[in-house]
Amino acid sequence: MTLVPVTYKGGIYQHDIIIDFIEDLGGYIVQKHIIAAEVVLQCFVPREDIELISRIAKPLFGEVKDSPLVGTEIAVVSMSLEIHHLPHPSCDFAEYARRIGAKTNMVSPARGPGKRISQLSDEERDVINEHDIAVLAFGNFESCIEYKWPALRRGIDVPIIVMGGPDTETLRRIIHPAADGYVGNVGRFMRRGKTEEEIGILDEIVAEVTRVIEKKREEIAKDPLSVSPARLMDLIREHVPAILDVTSPTPLTVQMEGLRVKLPYDTFARDLRRIEIEDGITLNDVAKVIPSRMRDYILIKILPFSETNTVV
Amino acid sequence: MLAIEYFEVECPEPLGAAYYKQITNDVLLDHNLLRVINKLHIFIDPKIPIFTAVGTLKKITTIVRVRDFANVNPLGDKITLVISDETYLAPMLKIFWQKYGKDRVEQPDRFTVILYNIEVDAREIEDLVVADPSESLFKDLIYAFRLIAPEGFRVRSEKFSKERFSFVASEDTLIEDLNPLIREKFALMGEKP
Repeated sequence: MTLVPVTYKGGIYQHDIIIDFIEDLGGYIVQKHIIAAEVVLQCFVPREDIELISRIAKPLFGEVKDSPLVGTEIAVVSMSLEIHHLPHPSCDFAEYARRIGAKTNMVSPARGPGKRISQLSDEERDVINEHDIAVLAFGNFESCIEYKWPALRRGIDVPIIVMGGPDTETLRRIIHPAADGYVGNVGRFMRRGKTEEEIGILDEIVAEVTRVIEKKREEIAKDPLSVSPARLMDLIREHVPAILDVTSPTPLTVQMEGLRVKLPYDTFARDLRRIEIEDGITLNDVAKVIPSRMRDYILIKILPFSETNTVV
Repeated sequence: MLAIEYFEVECPEPLGAAYYKQITNDVLLDHNLLRVINKLHIFIDPKIPIFTAVGTLKKITTIVRVRDFANVNPLGDKITLVISDETYLAPMLKIFWQKYGKDRVEQPDRFTVILYNIEVDAREIEDLVVADPSESLFKDLIYAFRLIAPEGFRVRSEKFSKERFSFVASEDTLIEDLNPLIREKFALMGEKP
């Protein structure tokens, strides 16, 4: 059974039928948003059942759409949190990607701006590495980007997509060593992107992110994970009820190869490790529970089949 | 950019120049500063790196008086002021309190101020100077140019006078004598520093 990420959008009336149905089919709800009288569910469902869900949802005016970014956590690295770089264009993209299911975090180096003076600390590097993919938002000058790129990418081992003012071809030419994706014509600007052309660029970024994510998914599929992150999420909700009291928007953030649990490490790590998944196999057998560099959260990294020899 | 007589951004990277022209336009428009700038020349070279903005200012005489935002109606021993724009209400009240004392100034609602037992002509109250926006003009201009310049360029040298200004910024130590550079950029606009 292959689970695929989809978004369900429909009325609030009888939406619990859809939730129960997805769960009965073996799918998982990653996020649920209720906006006025509308419900948006970001979920993983079995590929062969999408048609069936659409049919059941039709009388409720619900629709099911493919959204490849569900279940991913993206770091949008803005060069600073000053008004020079925020809210446009970094927040424009971060917000746009959220609408189609990704969980985006803004990460900003304390000394990001500038050319010679730009740098990345070890904490910032580690926080970026906790994500599935990083989108680096650069400025407008190619000579600056060319100069500061090696210093900023050092130590980052997740796929990087470069966003910058010069066109895509120029970015491809000046960036050494190569990045995983490039989107040009989106450097620093100080107004909200409203025109069709500007929104088109956001779509371009999403397309590039999707391409890189799909590539990463293919890599993971070659050596599958011992347990699906979405399944772990459900188990944690069941066994560690403290997570239900966390007020953050996504107390459990699903990533491609793990989960971020927004509970203090010292208090809850032991409870998490002891969770039994199936037939005596505990979470500790198939995943590493480590402290996150983001606050005192917990990070769960699921081990691949080649390391554990089990798939549950 | 109709309000500005001359506006150029000079940069070895043409695309970068176009982006910075847009940024400058957006920032000056947002901060309502287009009306005070007459000519503006910006020079950016990210390779050095340096950011230079030179320009001339328009003469502005926009002193705000009570009559600009309020109707003054004397009636018997009280004068009623009907406010149409609240922007300068607070500095006006401050002046009234200082001049006449708090017991003679009353503000029953947001748009009304009543003065009691004041032996002053209504015309005199209308002519009271409440604020001079040009006082904070240089502060606003410097803030705007800090926003326009690339963020890493934190070493700055700026000169603002009533008619002209120059703003130079870099992330490295600035060269000691900036005058030749500033003179050269002023000359491009047909001006002298």
